[in-house]
Amino acid sequence: MTITPTTSDDELLRRMRSGDAPAFAALYRRHQGPVYRFALLRCGSGDTAADVVQEAFMGLLSGRLAFDPLRGSLPNFLFGVARLLILKHEEPRRRESPLPEPDDDEAEPVLEEACPLTRVLASEAAEEVRRALARLAPHYRDAVILYEMHGLSYGEIATICAIDIGTVRSRLARGRAALAKALRLHALGAT
Amino acid sequence: MHDDDFPELDTRLAQLRGALAQVDAPRCVEKELMQAFASQSARARPWYRRLGMLEWSAAVACALVCVAVVGLLSLPPRLADGFDDSPLVRIDNGGAFIALDSVERIEADPAPRLIETEVSRTMLAALGLPVTPENAGEAVRAEMLVGAAGEPLALRLTSID
Repeated sequence: MTITPTTSDDELLRRMRSGDAPAFAALYRRHQGPVYRFALLRCGSGDTAADVVQEAFMGLLSGRLAFDPLRGSLPNFLFGVARLLILKHEEPRRRESPLPEPDDDEAEPVLEEACPLTRVLASEAAEEVRRALARLAPHYRDAVILYEMHGLSYGEIATICAIDIGTVRSRLARGRAALAKALRLHALGAT
Repeated sequence: MHDDDFPELDTRLAQLRGALAQVDAPRCVEKELMQAFASQSARARPWYRRLGMLEWSAAVACALVCVAVVGLLSLPPRLADGFDDSPLVRIDNGGAFIALDSVERIEADPAPRLIETEVSRTMLAALGLPVTPENAGEAVRAEMLVGAAGEPLALRLTSID
């Protein structure tokens, strides 16, 4: 049976579990891009983002991560896994500098090593936005990236981040405001 | 959603979206995942699931040939020699009795009757009786046992020598 762009994720997963390597390759190629871009913007490091993608798909193929199609789509499941892997990666730094409470809408102090400012994108304008995004507090960054870059709904973001929709809405508003402020200051500084 | 103090935010975010559109995970990630998949599949599947359709077909064919050979070798000698003991064809004292239906059917017929006739030796060859090139064209006198409905039940050849 051939694999086409219309072959469903469920079908590819079923075939992957029965040992079909092309099905797994198709599944990976279909979803690696968004997961990698999310991780890249979220953690600011290409190497860490690649590790996150690899670990997420490794969990999928080994069965360590149990995806249930009844509880959501595979892309959203992978976003959730990637987010948790990034949080795990950031754990040592978070222990040194505790995060604010989940419902705290105040911007938190930014850890320089948590958002490396090494150049990632070729476009200067886009790179400037990415750097401003990298300076946002992580819980704002999640909401802004998933909503603005991946077009996810409030409900989907709430499921991925394990928060309620009202919190998504407020984090998104605060995140956008912080991003706008950073870009405005940068523009003023440039002039 | 709009931020009044920085109206071009959406434009800037669109620039970032555009720049990221073609950014993918490094190729080495896929390579490593495919290697991991291959090694895991080999580990997870038992030996009989690793065989493909071709290997399975060959194995089944070999097994059938072996069974056939063993079966032929273990046949009783009387079966291997022919049908002399068959109750359906019996030859005695130069005559032959050929059952054309089952013994039960012949015995169960309510009103069988005998009809005298002649049968060519070539037809008898098809029934398993000996025919030589010299007598192949001859006919043999026969008595045919016919059932009540007219169907032939058995054939008795009075002299086939």
